[in-house]
Amino acid sequence: MLEIKDLKVAYNGMGVLNGVDLSLAKGEVLAVIGESGAGKTTLGLSIMGLLDGCSGKILLDGRNILTLGEEEHRKIRGKDMAMVFQNVEDALDPVYKISDQIEEAILVHEGDAAAQKVIDLLRSVGLPAEKGASHPHELSGGEKQRVLIAMALANDPQVLILDEPTASLDAITKAKMIKLLKEVARKKIVLVATHDIPTATKLTDRMAVLYAGRIVEMGQTADLVEIPRHPYTRGLLRSSLNMTTTKDLQGIPGRMVHGIKGCPFHLRCTQRIGRCAHEVPVLEDVGGRQIACHRGGIVPLLEVNDLKRRFGSVRAVDGVSFTLYEGETLALVGESGSGKTTLAKMVIGLIEPDGGEVRLEGDAVGRRTKEFYERVQMIYQNPKESISHRMNVLEAVEEPLVVQNAGCGKLERAKVVLEDVELPGDGPFLKKYPHQLSGGEAQRVAIARALILGPKLLVADEPTSALDASVQAKILKLLLNLQERRGLTMLFITHDIALARKVSDRMAVMLDGKIIEEGPTNEVITSPVHRYTRRLIETAPDLSNELASF
Amino acid sequence: MHVDYWKEVTGSNLGKTGLIIIGLITALAVSAPLLTPYDPHEKTNTEAFSTPSKDHWLGTNDVRQDIWTRLLYGARTSLAVGFGVAVLSTFLSVLIGGTAAIFGGAYDRLWMRVVDAIIAVPSVIVIILVATYLRPNAALIILLLSLLNWPGGARIIRAQTLSLKERMHVSAARTFGASWSHILLRHIIPDLGPILIAMMIQDARRAVFMEAGLSFLGISDPSMISWGKMMQFARAYIYLDVWMWWLLPAGVALSLTLIGLSLTGFSLETGLDPRLREEKNSAGSR
Repeated sequence: MLEIKDLKVAYNGMGVLNGVDLSLAKGEVLAVIGESGAGKTTLGLSIMGLLDGCSGKILLDGRNILTLGEEEHRKIRGKDMAMVFQNVEDALDPVYKISDQIEEAILVHEGDAAAQKVIDLLRSVGLPAEKGASHPHELSGGEKQRVLIAMALANDPQVLILDEPTASLDAITKAKMIKLLKEVARKKIVLVATHDIPTATKLTDRMAVLYAGRIVEMGQTADLVEIPRHPYTRGLLRSSLNMTTTKDLQGIPGRMVHGIKGCPFHLRCTQRIGRCAHEVPVLEDVGGRQIACHRGGIVPLLEVNDLKRRFGSVRAVDGVSFTLYEGETLALVGESGSGKTTLAKMVIGLIEPDGGEVRLEGDAVGRRTKEFYERVQMIYQNPKESISHRMNVLEAVEEPLVVQNAGCGKLERAKVVLEDVELPGDGPFLKKYPHQLSGGEAQRVAIARALILGPKLLVADEPTSALDASVQAKILKLLLNLQERRGLTMLFITHDIALARKVSDRMAVMLDGKIIEEGPTNEVITSPVHRYTRRLIETAPDLSNELASF
Repeated sequence: MHVDYWKEVTGSNLGKTGLIIIGLITALAVSAPLLTPYDPHEKTNTEAFSTPSKDHWLGTNDVRQDIWTRLLYGARTSLAVGFGVAVLSTFLSVLIGGTAAIFGGAYDRLWMRVVDAIIAVPSVIVIILVATYLRPNAALIILLLSLLNWPGGARIIRAQTLSLKERMHVSAARTFGASWSHILLRHIIPDLGPILIAMMIQDARRAVFMEAGLSFLGISDPSMISWGKMMQFARAYIYLDVWMWWLLPAGVALSLTLIGLSLTGFSLETGLDPRLREEKNSAGSR
């Protein structure tokens, strides 16, 4: 049993770990994930007792190892706990044979017994006994990693700390290593510090997300990876390369800064509130997950409950409900006439619903006020039509500010958003009229005017279907970048499931005014439940020359 | 598609003629004090019914006033009434027709029934009755004519607005939180431009004619100088030769103004109506 209580570590007064609480039972494998500099390695080193200046408690079977003297520490190290360091290249001494280096780690056995133990260890990590005679430079990266693991296992420690165990290994070696580590980890307490989320997912049962020396989210690995609830966890997942996520990679804006007041993540967070800058959120249980966030994790921005609308005898939208979380993209996919656009227009307030309700950040939305439109904006299928042909670029971009009586500084704000959408913010471009713009430029202008009020939610109704392929790609990239930078939440309406797959975190398939299937995009794509969804996927554009069968 | 309406009007001979006539009459009315040494209300020292001469280009009338002077100042009345009614009734048409289309519902139905009611009323009789009772001055005439004139325009504006408000840029403006006034002023009216001008010309034409008619019937401020009134007075002396330089010039001036407005309006409508445009273009290519 390893317990860590309020562990704080500072280097030269700079807090690297700022109060970490963890509890690990025997047989448990925990991943600590986070960016470089989050404090993952420091956590490992402090458990190993290799760091000075730690405060708090690290209890191994009830014994606080932080208060032990160096001599007692040494006894524990290697015997009760061992660490596999990152940087395989540096961890082995180039002038000694492998077998000697492993033998050095064996404390209790002597002579032939030790030599036999070395061979056993080499075998247990999948290396032939002959390799023991090699020098480090004769081994591949994967083999060196195996040697290091063998060294860590030398005394059968109960706590094993793995620091980036698979970094710099190629995919196949990595897969073998993961298999080995999984076997090794049995009946031990294992802490895996890594930024490699796919590896951590395969290796561990529980996952803790470390940010600037604090745990911001902790929970069962499978859950946490499927539905991240802390904005930072989601950011990490979005920037992690893997085969499951279908959406394009997205980064996290800004960079990690240590020692700031309030929530460590608040400067990079897109859903921060005033409180985040002053108070540190504590790690609390929120629905089977521990989250440190003043807002209780990623907030539901838009909730739609049982929304209905008829046109004559046609039920255009027939009882639709969904929740859209902050910074997330939900794609509404369906054929023409499935009610997608009607639904979008009811959300934005261009069509009155017959029944049901729309909630924005928890408040029911009735009559749409100017304040509502500061938070929710829409972009349309045909950008040139959505801009009055009597307005030039500048007038069009400033129009929302004029409507909202924004007062002075309009020109500056217009320039800023124009640059945000990668258009020139001055010169003759501002004087152009819609018919003088290309389709892509016009859609950028339309996006700029939707962004100028700083909305949280962007309803995008087929924003690229009127554009040709290369322009479409650029506009989608732009929208993803804007989402990353501004934490824009998007309700993305499209008939193109291939497009939805690339841009959305979650997908809802609409048919005849109802949502027939909803879930994380990758799940809907890889294992569709409804027949109609399967058909959509079969008929979606791909580059094979086989015809879809139906 | 953009149609340059100014080009449309000046490009046709009829339109050009109309504009020249209106321009000429307006110039004469504006520069009236420069073109005559007399005061239109004062009697001159010349005797009544004198024939045209160097001093009095169109002679004098029964009360020794200079007829040329009164003709010039009469143009001011006609144009002021025409312009005033055009502006006021178009304003009312846009306000009521536009808002009815934007708001819809009960508001729309209510105003459209009001429009039906006013159109059903024979306006000439109402004006004669009301004007007789109120003995109106020029401003009141403008108001009266406008109040009876706007409903026709309101119907047109409502129909146009109904189609314009479905345009996507209007939806976009609504999703910025735009009020009806913003939508009307920035999105609907600019696209109504040419229709509004055509409407105003129609209104002006009708107003000039109505004002002359009312004055002819004697229903107006006696101190007001008007072509209609000139004709009314001159008619009493129809047996004298004086009608040639008293009745006839006033009649011709009125007719010219109406023709000028009609021609301009006609050529503008040709530009507006795609079917008429097509005929014109195919005729031109033949």
